[in-house]
Amino acid sequence: MHKLRTTILGYSRIKVPARTSSIGNDLNGTYKRTQLLRTCSTAASTDADQVMDRVIKLVKKFDKIDAAKVTEKADFQKDLSLDSLDRVELVMAFEEEFSVEISDAEADKLKCCVDVAKYVVSCSTEKVPEASS
Amino acid sequence: MSVGTASYLARRAAQKERVRILYRRALKDTLNWAVHRHLFYSDADALREKFEANKQVADVDVIDRMIDAGETTYNKWRHPDPYIVPWAPGGTKFCRNPTPPPGIEIIYNFGREDND
Repeated sequence: MHKLRTTILGYSRIKVPARTSSIGNDLNGTYKRTQLLRTCSTAASTDADQVMDRVIKLVKKFDKIDAAKVTEKADFQKDLSLDSLDRVELVMAFEEEFSVEISDAEADKLKCCVDVAKYVVSCSTEKVPEASS
Repeated sequence: MSVGTASYLARRAAQKERVRILYRRALKDTLNWAVHRHLFYSDADALREKFEANKQVADVDVIDRMIDAGETTYNKWRHPDPYIVPWAPGGTKFCRNPTPPPGIEIIYNFGREDND
């Protein structure tokens, strides 16, 4: 359910219907809706498939990479023929896309798209607790 | 000879690591100094060209000196108030709305009891 909602919200801009409920009636619902809105407005998605999609799209857009060669497991250095400085630039692009902080030591370990997606997901699960909906 | 080769390779690996970290920090610092995105792109290209210019240098001692010079330049021009990702330590959202520890539950009945 959560995945479906985030997918739809990712493609279209829907105004989340603010249900007019009397305060005494359903405060619990109000709280849940607030949490839903909060989840929708977080920068990093927690869903692993979506993160993977975004990572691959971003890697394909990088101008020094041949977009046809990009796969989930393709090694940045060997298969996509990036040098170490290109990889630094790519990691910086990831940092901006997902607004996470990647330390210098971690940046060296990110060798393919799967690694990056795993790292982003592990960051965001620490950061955003999954809202019950 | 093999010991010499091994130490040479180790030194080269250490230098590669230093260059990588220097480039990474310098690139981030470039983004800190650039007030607009379109200014950042040309600055980043200039930075990359500075690194690329010395790509073919083979002498290990010369490389060491160059890295030292690069690091001093970086330290001299470091931004006093760098951008920090909001959720990272030092960021604006760091430790805000933390997850409650497990076992603690908030009941949102706002003073109403179950039996009234």
